[in-house]
This record gives sequence, C-alpha cells and structure tokens, in this order.
Amino acid sequence: MENKEIMIKVKDLRKEFRKAVKEPGLKGSFKALFNPKYDIVKAVDGISFEVPKGEIIGFIGPNGAGKSTVIKMLTGILTPTSGECCIDGKIPTENRKEYVKEIGVVFGQRTQLWWDLALRETYMVLKEIYEIPEDAYKERMAFLNEVLELDDFITSPVRTLSLGQRMRADIAASLLHNPKVLFLDEPTIGLDVVVKDNIRKAIKKISEESGTTVILTTHDLEDIELLCKRIVMIDKGKKVFDGELSELRRRYGQMRELKFELKNPDDFEKLSYKKDFSFADDDLSIDRTGGTVNVRFNSDVVTVEKMLSYTLSKVHVKDINVKDADIEEIIRRLYLGGGETDETADSHL
Amino acid sequence: MKRLIRIYKPFTRAGLLEMVTYRVNFLFFLLGEIMRCFVMFFVWKAVFDSSDSSTLYGFTYDNMVVYLFITFLCGYITYSDGSYAVGKEILDGSIAMRMIKPVDFDMCFLFQELGGKILQLLIVFAPITIGVETYRWIANGAFMMNVPMFFLFILSLLLAYGINFFFNVIYGFLAFYLKNLWGTGIIKNVIMDFLSGATVPLAFMGSFGKALGYLPFASLSYTPVMIYMGMYSPLEIIFYMSLQLVWLVVFIVSSKLVLSSAMKRLVVHGG
Amino acid sequence: MMRYIRLHKIFIKQDLKKLMEYKVDFLLGAVGFLLEQAAQILCLGIIFAGIPALCYTVDGVVVDSWGFNEVLFIYGFSLIPKGIDHLFFDNLWGLGYWIVDKGDFDKYLTRPINSWFYVLCEKFCVDALGEIIIGIVLIIYSTLSMPAQVADAINWWRVLPVLAVMPFAILIFTSIKTATAAISFWTKRSGHITHMCYMTNEFAKYPTKIYNTFIKTAITFVLPFALTAYYPAIYILRGESVWSLPVTVLVSLALFGISQLIWYRGISSYESAGS
Repeated sequence: MENKEIMIKVKDLRKEFRKAVKEPGLKGSFKALFNPKYDIVKAVDGISFEVPKGEIIGFIGPNGAGKSTVIKMLTGILTPTSGECCIDGKIPTENRKEYVKEIGVVFGQRTQLWWDLALRETYMVLKEIYEIPEDAYKERMAFLNEVLELDDFITSPVRTLSLGQRMRADIAASLLHNPKVLFLDEPTIGLDVVVKDNIRKAIKKISEESGTTVILTTHDLEDIELLCKRIVMIDKGKKVFDGELSELRRRYGQMRELKFELKNPDDFEKLSYKKDFSFADDDLSIDRTGGTVNVRFNSDVVTVEKMLSYTLSKVHVKDINVKDADIEEIIRRLYLGGGETDETADSHL
Repeated sequence: MKRLIRIYKPFTRAGLLEMVTYRVNFLFFLLGEIMRCFVMFFVWKAVFDSSDSSTLYGFTYDNMVVYLFITFLCGYITYSDGSYAVGKEILDGSIAMRMIKPVDFDMCFLFQELGGKILQLLIVFAPITIGVETYRWIANGAFMMNVPMFFLFILSLLLAYGINFFFNVIYGFLAFYLKNLWGTGIIKNVIMDFLSGATVPLAFMGSFGKALGYLPFASLSYTPVMIYMGMYSPLEIIFYMSLQLVWLVVFIVSSKLVLSSAMKRLVVHGG
Repeated sequence: MMRYIRLHKIFIKQDLKKLMEYKVDFLLGAVGFLLEQAAQILCLGIIFAGIPALCYTVDGVVVDSWGFNEVLFIYGFSLIPKGIDHLFFDNLWGLGYWIVDKGDFDKYLTRPINSWFYVLCEKFCVDALGEIIIGIVLIIYSTLSMPAQVADAINWWRVLPVLAVMPFAILIFTSIKTATAAISFWTKRSGHITHMCYMTNEFAKYPTKIYNTFIKTAITFVLPFALTAYYPAIYILRGESVWSLPVTVLVSLALFGISQLIWYRGISSYESAGS
C-alpha cells in the first residue's frame, strides 16, 4: 500500500469562523443590537493527511469536532482559511468546476434528487451536467443498477421513496460520472439494519470494482468496522488518531469488560476495584443497574485473572463473563479522553 | 385576566425576541414597502397639478399625503400573518404539537404576534405619525391632531387588528381544505387591499365605494384612517366603530366554528 | 456557451414536468399575479377618471404631460423586462431567503457548472407569464386607443433599437437580484434587501419626470429601473431620450460586472450550515 498513488492530499488545513456572541435573554439581545461581539472559532485547526487511491477511509469524531467542515473544504464548498487540499493534483479553490468533476458527494441528511420528479429524471439531468457520453452513461447505469438495485423505483417520484431507497438513489446519483473520490456523509443515518447492510455491501463493491476512493463520515461504528481499513479521528479541529483499525485496537484495545449479576445487590458495597488496584480514572468505569454490574477496565494495569479472582472472592455471583471491548468502547474512551462529551458517553460512569 | 397574562407572557416574549433577532430584515422590508408610498406621493402630486380644482372627491393633496402614509401605517400595524403560521402547521401536521399543550392555540399566535408588534410600533408608528403631523403642521400652520381623536384612532386600530387577526386565522384553517397557501394568499391580499381602500380611497369609487364601506374590509384600514384624518362626523365615528365591533364579534365566532370543524377533520386524518 | 443553453432548456423542461404535478398551485399563483396587476390598473383608471392627462408642472406651468394611454403604455412596458427576468431567473429570490440560510447552497458548489448559472436557471417561474401577458395586452390596447398622430409616429426605427436593448434591460434586473442575493453569503439571509431594491422598481412604472432630482438620479443610474421602463417606452412613443439606449447597455454591463464580483467574493465566504 505504501507504493500506491496518492489520491487526496491535505496539508495543514485550517478554517476559522466568526461567531456572534450573545448573552442570554432579552437584555442580551438588546445588547447585541447595539454592540455585537464576535468570537473566532477554530473549526479546523491544522489538519494533514493523505489518502491513497482506492482506499476507504473512515472519518470519525464527536459532534462538532470539525469533520463536516473538513469534508466541506475537501468538496470545494467551503474555502479554507489557510492550508491546502488537493485531489488528484487539482485544487478546489483554483478551478472548482474541474475539481468537482472528480468527486461525488452524498450528504445523508440532504438529498440531491429532484423531489417532485421521477428518479430517472434526476439522472438524465446529471448526465447533462457532467457531460457523460451516452454509452458511458448506459454502462454506468447498468452497473449501478446491479449494485444498488434501482430498477424497482426508478420511475417513481423521489418524494415517494423510502429512506433506504432514497439513499441508494442518492449514492447512484453521486457516482454516475464515475468520480475518483466519493464523499459519504452519514450514509446510513436513520436506516434499519438490513438496509444498512445492503448499503455497506454496495459501497464496498463499488470501491473494489471502480477503484473509487471513499471518504466516509459516520457515527455508526459498525460502518467503520465493516468498510474501513483506516480511520482518521478528529476532535476539536485537530487530528487525534490516524491509522489502521487494527492499530487502534492494538493501542487502545486492552480494555476488557467484566459483567456479572450479584446474588445480593447490597454486596456491591464490598467491591472497591479502584482503591484496591489503584486504577487511574481512564482505566476503569463501572455501570450498575440493580444487581447487574458492568466493569470496564484496562487489562494492562490489572490482568483478567486477578480481576476475576478478586471479584469472586468478595461477592457471590449468579453469572459472570468477560469480553473484549469492541471498537465502540475504544472510541468512546478516545472521545472522552479528548475532554469532549458526546451523547454516546451518557452511560459512562 | 392575570392568569391569561401569566400563561401567554412567554409567547409575547418569544415574539419580541424573534423580532429583535430579525430586526435588520424587518427594517429593510419596511423600507421597501414604504417606497410605494413615495411613488404614490409623486403620482398624486402630478395628478393634483393636472387637475383644475384643488380637491378630488373631497380630498386635497395634503389630505391625500396623510391618507397614503396613515393607510400604510394602519396596514402595517394591523397586518397579521397568523394565517400563514396556522396554515403551515396544519399542512405539515405540526399543529398536533400545539394541541397537546393546555393553551388556546389561536391565543398563542395572537400573543406571539403582539410581542413582535411591540418593536414594530417603536420603529414604525412613532416616525410615521410624527412625520405626518409635521407635514400637516407645515402645510396648515397649526396642529391638526387632538388627544380624544388620537385615542379614538388607536381604539379603532386595535379593533381593526382584531378583525384582521381572526379573519386570517379563518383563512389559515381553510388551508386544510385548499391545500395551498401561497397562491390563494396572493389572491386574498389583492382582494383585501383593494376592497379596504388601501390602494385608492373608497371615496373615489362613488356609490360602489360607499357600499364597500359596510364590508369588513373597510373596517381594516379605511375606518381608522378616516378617523385619524378627521373626515368623519361624530355620528359617523360611532356608526363605523360599532360596525367594526360587529365584524370583530362575527369573525371571532366564525373562527371558533371553523376551528372545531377543522379539528374534527384533523382527528379523522390522524394528524 | 452552447452547452449552457442546452442545460437551461433541460432545466426548464424538468421544471415544467414538476409544474404538471402541481397544476392547481400554479393556476392559483398565476391568477393571483394577474389580479394584482388588474387591481393596480383599475387603480390607475380611477385616478385618471378625474383628470384629462398627467402633467408635470414647474411653478404652475405645464412642462410635459402624458395621456392615460401613454401612462398605460409605460406601465405595460415596465412589466415586460421584469416579467422575462421573473420567468427565467426567479431562483435568486430563494437564495436570499432560504437556500444559503439552510445550507442548501452546498449542492450548487459540488457540480461542474458555473454556480451562478446553476442557481439562475434551476427554476422556471411560469407565474411570470401573467405579468408578461398583461404587459403585452396593455401595450397593444394603449397603442390602439391612442390619438392617430401619436400612434402613427411609432415606427420600426423606434421599436427595433428598444428590442435590441431589451436583453440589457433584463440584465439590470438579474444583476441587481444577483448582487443583493449574494449578500446572503455573508449574512445568511438577504431576501429583504433584494425586496427593498426591487420595490424601487415601482417608481419606474410612471413617467420619471414627475419625481424630484434625487429619485430621478437614483432610478436612472443607481438602481436604474427607469432604463427598463420609462425611457425605452417614451422612446417608442415619442422618440425622446435616445441617449438612454446606449446608457442602458453601459450601466447594465457595469452592474453585471459588480454583481459577479460580489458573487465570487461571496462564495469564498460561504459558511454552509451546521458544523
């Protein structure tokens, strides 16, 4: 993979926004009326990375981390404050029109399809916009049809499509001109498990068969696990991790989860892992609902064996098991480590 | 009454806050709308210059200027877009969210709109009335407005706003049947503007105009404007203001009727 | 260029298909616009019922005057360039009111066509046909009912130059809309500014001479709507104000340049929506 041709190159990318500061309430509104104050917000603060051709890369980070801003700069929608990004040697700010021919974009929460018209009409217009020759169009349409199964609804008005159908249609729309890079912003948001699975398979197939480089942002970590070899994680505008998924697991994967049910819920008081093993805050978290206890701990600090024997020696349990922390757990820890709280952290003690 | 104020005060506050947020938009919009007054200001000047007599249908040029700007003012103050708010919520079904709250929902719109009016009053009412009075003072060499008359004008204006509000609530509920707010809204506004004398004084339309005077549309702006200009005798003031009151009651009652009928339909549709 | 014309045709076709889905809405809108114009014309009729002609006087001396037919002609003419701009380029209103505010402008930037053109031609506003039809009807009606010596003086040498300048008159509308809509790239919303500038157009529907110097200058050179209505109309009617034709070309091109400048500056300041 080291010798592969570089498709996307991002260097020291920055974006600053000016944000009006308003004090709360009516008084604040009137103050802002006469004396508006502004803050400079660094949404993206010096991010660099490279993506080789044909790779699927996962772009993750908590809400408000700046990943959408990066994507929007990469797609030529936002102009960077400084730094550069280029795709296949083209720079969006220099020649936007040439640049966007190389990319396809899907924003999961926003459709690019003509709402009131039959789906086919959107494709006809896109064919003209991207100047796709008739043969290439037919060939491409046949391929997309096979992968995304559009035939069932290609003549229906877009507004009558289900969310899953619409997402398939949107992905097809962004791939019609055979772009070198595909940006997928939350492509599985709001979809059910089966549809999610179909869409993931389709993305994988398209990337393999057309050699399309894919940049995927998502909050659904299953997307990442199934699709991406490599992830880039950003938080507060900065890159906090960049590497293969297996490395992430290696580096942060020492977390184990110990789950058991107490015979007598009051016994919980007898357990004091933190004090007895002197865990650091990051290395231990405990959830308890009634008699069910869930302990997540770092197995580098204390071995699984020690934890088990300690637990069994202190209390009587009905049931006990240990498992590897999944990728979600790792990322949750990373998000929290960054000091950013997210809705996924609500269950965390 | 105290309870009423306590419940609906947050709505008024929200309306005011919203208006403060969109103050710039509002100002530009206002400047655009008032442009039409200035166009007509010059057109009427040319019209009066072209005429041999100094009055047209009992209006002098100075009267006409006052009429133009006070009509604009009344139109602005009594303007209500409750219809749009109601209609939109009916069409997209979000009205269900309002119905699960223990408040009268036309009242929510009313108080929210009144909140916005507070700022509008500051920005629109004072400058225009002061401007018009200065104009009249220069033209006549004396103040033309007196306190009781001004008080009656305000009262008539309030009645006009009430009529307009409930009329628009009814129209908003019609969205349920019409399924269209934009096109029918344009048609409604054109008809209302014309029949209320906002485009040309009803006095210019002869006996047809006099007949229009009895319709609810005249109560929307023609009545308060005529009171402001002192063109009504005391007897006429009593008559036309009673008429306003009658129309207000008619619209309140019919809005309640339409409301209950629409609610039934809403239940049938399941939101 | 040819490609853009082709694309525009496709967009219009798509929009007409959409229209067929919402026939009633379209009809109601068109009727609304028609009624709006009808009410204004009725209003003009009522005003003119009391006077023989509209006069421009200085110190009580009549300097110039326009008969009811001539005023109708000017009024009708004013609807034509405005209506054509409305018909083809109405989507700019949406830009200032909601497209930028909601972040929907993203779409226009991820396509390999000029973003301005894409916004411009995406919507085909058939309601405008009402305006154009009323304009044509007024022009024909007023010409037919004019005194013979006025009507006979109208010839092709007056009509053709005006037709030639017509695209530039339309460009004035489009440029002003573009420039004011592009302000939304900084402020998120600017529809109200477009609205304000557009209302100045009301002045252009009547003979420009009746206004004071300030307004006359403003509607001839700053927001030059008089160049789209009164001047070309009076040139056709009387052969007056020849100068206005080349001025229209120059002013419209200047405005177009300014509007494009604002547009491209604006795009690099576009902030999209959300995080």
